[in-house]
Amino acid sequence: MKKKLLHLTVNEEYYELYISPKKLLVEILRDELGLTGTKRACNTGACGACTVLLDGAAVKSCSILAMQADGAKVTTVEGLADGAELTPLQQSFLDHGAFQCGFCTSGMLMSATAFLREDPAPKNIKEGIQGNICRCTGYNSILRAIKAVAEGKYKEEGR
Amino acid sequence: MKKYTVINTPVHNIDGIAKITGRAKYTFDITLPRMLQGKILRSSYSHAEILNIDTSKAERLRGVKTVLTGKDTLGKKQGIWRRFKELCDEEILARDKVRYIGEPVATVAAIDEDTAEEALDLIEVEYKPLPGVFEPLEAIKEGAPQLHEHAERNINVTRHIEWGDVDGGFQKADYVREDWFRCSSQAHACMETHCAVADYTPEGKLTVYTSSQSHYYIKVLLAEILGLRENDVRVISRYTGGGFGSKFELDSAQFCSSLLSMKLCLPVKIVLTREEEFTATKRRTPMFYYVRSGVKKDGTFLAKEARVFTEGGAYTAMGATALYLTGFFQSFPYVWPSYRYDGYRVYTNTAPTSAMRGFGAPQATFCAETQIDLIADELGMDPIEIRRKNGMYPNYEVPGQATIQSCGLDQCLDKIDKWIKSRGKLPPHRGIGIAAYGFMSGGIFNWFDTPYAFSSAVIQINIDGKVDLFVGSQDMGQGSNTTMAIICAEELGVKLEDIRLHMGDTENCPVDLGAWGSRETLMQGNAVKMAAAKAKQQILEFATAKLAPNIVYDLDIKDGWIHLIARPERGLSFYDIVKEAIRGKDGQPIIARGHYTPHRKGMISPAYSFGVQAIEADVDPDTGKITLKNCVTAHDCGQVINRLGVEGQLEGAIAMAAGYGFTEDLPMDEGKILNPNLVDYMLLRATEMPETEVMEVETYEPEGPFGAKEAGEGLTNPTAGALSNAVFHATGISIKNLPITPEKVFNALKEKKKK
Amino acid sequence: MSYQCPVCEKIWPDTMELARHVFGVGDQAHKDWVNSKGVNFIELLLLQTMEPGNKGYKILAEILDREAKKVD
Repeated sequence: MKKKLLHLTVNEEYYELYISPKKLLVEILRDELGLTGTKRACNTGACGACTVLLDGAAVKSCSILAMQADGAKVTTVEGLADGAELTPLQQSFLDHGAFQCGFCTSGMLMSATAFLREDPAPKNIKEGIQGNICRCTGYNSILRAIKAVAEGKYKEEGR
Repeated sequence: MKKYTVINTPVHNIDGIAKITGRAKYTFDITLPRMLQGKILRSSYSHAEILNIDTSKAERLRGVKTVLTGKDTLGKKQGIWRRFKELCDEEILARDKVRYIGEPVATVAAIDEDTAEEALDLIEVEYKPLPGVFEPLEAIKEGAPQLHEHAERNINVTRHIEWGDVDGGFQKADYVREDWFRCSSQAHACMETHCAVADYTPEGKLTVYTSSQSHYYIKVLLAEILGLRENDVRVISRYTGGGFGSKFELDSAQFCSSLLSMKLCLPVKIVLTREEEFTATKRRTPMFYYVRSGVKKDGTFLAKEARVFTEGGAYTAMGATALYLTGFFQSFPYVWPSYRYDGYRVYTNTAPTSAMRGFGAPQATFCAETQIDLIADELGMDPIEIRRKNGMYPNYEVPGQATIQSCGLDQCLDKIDKWIKSRGKLPPHRGIGIAAYGFMSGGIFNWFDTPYAFSSAVIQINIDGKVDLFVGSQDMGQGSNTTMAIICAEELGVKLEDIRLHMGDTENCPVDLGAWGSRETLMQGNAVKMAAAKAKQQILEFATAKLAPNIVYDLDIKDGWIHLIARPERGLSFYDIVKEAIRGKDGQPIIARGHYTPHRKGMISPAYSFGVQAIEADVDPDTGKITLKNCVTAHDCGQVINRLGVEGQLEGAIAMAAGYGFTEDLPMDEGKILNPNLVDYMLLRATEMPETEVMEVETYEPEGPFGAKEAGEGLTNPTAGALSNAVFHATGISIKNLPITPEKVFNALKEKKKK
Repeated sequence: MSYQCPVCEKIWPDTMELARHVFGVGDQAHKDWVNSKGVNFIELLLLQTMEPGNKGYKILAEILDREAKKVD
């Protein structure tokens, strides 16, 4: 299959890559760009570990061909913190111990980031991470972490 | 209770920044230069002889570097119960015979995954199918297909536990009941599947990056099966994406990638797909239980006998341990004057069953707690009261088995009793069910046959006061890294940020048996505490000489301040003393070692956690659907060390154990798992979690560091039982067959209406 | 009237209790004795453990009624 040129902005860096059109977005992010923060944990689009932001919306990057994201802006977990400055959500995750093995954490953070941007004072936080499986935490610490941010306990400018 | 500086404070997980910024590199993320991708061809027969394997077409495929089969191995059988050779029955890469669907028969290394997959399709295996047997109660019958030559009637292991006069006890009983239970299997479903990157170099050294719960076990088992010198094998497991019991035995990803790498002298990576994870890794042991109990009419327990047949699957794995533990925890946490247990593990042509969080105790607790509520109901007794009447207490001796030192069971019952009363009158179709439980804090038995201490630690104090702590323990998410740093900081008297932890690499970490049986806090924790105490002693020698106080004053270190205990304002900084101490030691930093091995601690464990869990659930009478409303647990883990860690373990355990109780199952059709993906395998999602509340009951356990005991596995024990009891109290029906699905509830309700 | 275990000679008040004892001890000697009587120890245990009704014990109790020494 003839390779195609992919134009992609990832974490505010612009890339041009020759890729096989069969490649999934998650494969490009992890294998071509070395951004291994985004994980894969199933082959059925069921677990959410591969969640990234695509033009601001939370998407499962294993369910999208890279070429479908041609010209788009992608944010991965590596793009959340600004140097040493964590986002309020990341800080809240730390304070609440909202992770254990950490494998689902990137996906959780991306889903929650998109969810809170859409609705900063959500009524049903559980639905916001319904598409993300966690086998370790039992979810409640994650929900507490998201709730704390939603309730304004981590006030911060411009995030 | 004593207030500590670091212990039981909500400190951040020391791996937190790495995990929440995506920096943590799991084996899944490791790439090495010139690395190849490996894949494994697996048997589609549950029982067959391998007549021939033709790999020639696959070898000729462009991009394929090599194809190996069982004939390319040393033909050794391995098993984790190394001390008992007859239990080392698994080749991993089968040579002559396959015994379950999914058993590896060949392995390929190629330039990319697609090519490796294509190569698998080109490997031609000639099988001679044999009749298979899939249920233990069928496998044990005369004439059933025999899986292993040495195992007549497919009986793999048997266990017997007995104390007291069981038959006499039953004779004295006013009320005897017997029940039959079926406990299902369960998949670990770790988010990171089994994976390994093996890198063999011409010096004859093998490095394996792998997702593991015990790098020490993997190192030794790999060295043995590959014929390498034990310490020419290096296993690195810095971050593990979940374990739950599935990752401390040698697996196909580790073995096959090592074989391929040794052949090619190139790195080879194998990552199991989610489907392989379900079908070809080990799982929770299904059990068929018979439980008979005799009690007095005032509820006093007199005699209990239990018999179980477990579905072993094709190989022993850790099944022997599960068989003993289920029998022991069947009596927990009560005083049974007499008890008899017989366990039979049976080989079947299904994926091997082994260790999964709780290790046979969730199954036992489900049976025991369900039956106790039925007994209480018969006698007109309150479920809390019957448990209080018979509960274990501090310093109780389980005859011939264990000494219980700390035991907060009574306080746990108090808290749950109070909570239940606070719920008042429940709406229709809602019930509250409870279950009491206990669990081990690491095992005493050396079935691995190691000459090493069960846990070790090394501390080095650097000139700037930074403390290097080397441990062998494995953090798979349960937080042991943070727990060890906390213990070290508290004992040594420094800040948490002064600790730099080294773990996960057999080349430069001391030996620890790994994260299973909930052993890290007690065993690795004790080793760390010992090393820290010795290091502190060396520091205090210098400090005391410098301060030159009256001999009646003794010194301690808190928060980096070395001081006279009676006059804490008199002292000096730890960070200053360290600079001076090095000169007094020939320019060598302070180094100290610690270790721990349980001696004379009974048959199972040095210490036991206790608890009581209550579940409040709605049962829809029209559909049988169960909705969890609340889950409250009073847990005694002695002294809480890692507060966020314990809370996390409790909530995570509830999700996993509730799944075991009513949503998760691995249905099979003649050995073929029917739902090997995360859509059809129903583990709990965020929307299904109930409100949870943790009530800590603090006791002091003399065997544990700062009085601590386990808090990771015991919490998985009670939920299935509490759930079946909630359903019983909501509907009057008792389901003794896991999982408690809507169909079962619906059918049972229908049956009840007929009567 | 009581019954004596044919293997280890322990005395039991009735054949059901004696059957329970034989199953409970379950060592090779007791297993061999049961297997020599035209039935199979494992099969009877399976019956007892698989389903309600005490079938396994009842069958063994009947055999013991015939074979075991009766003691006053």
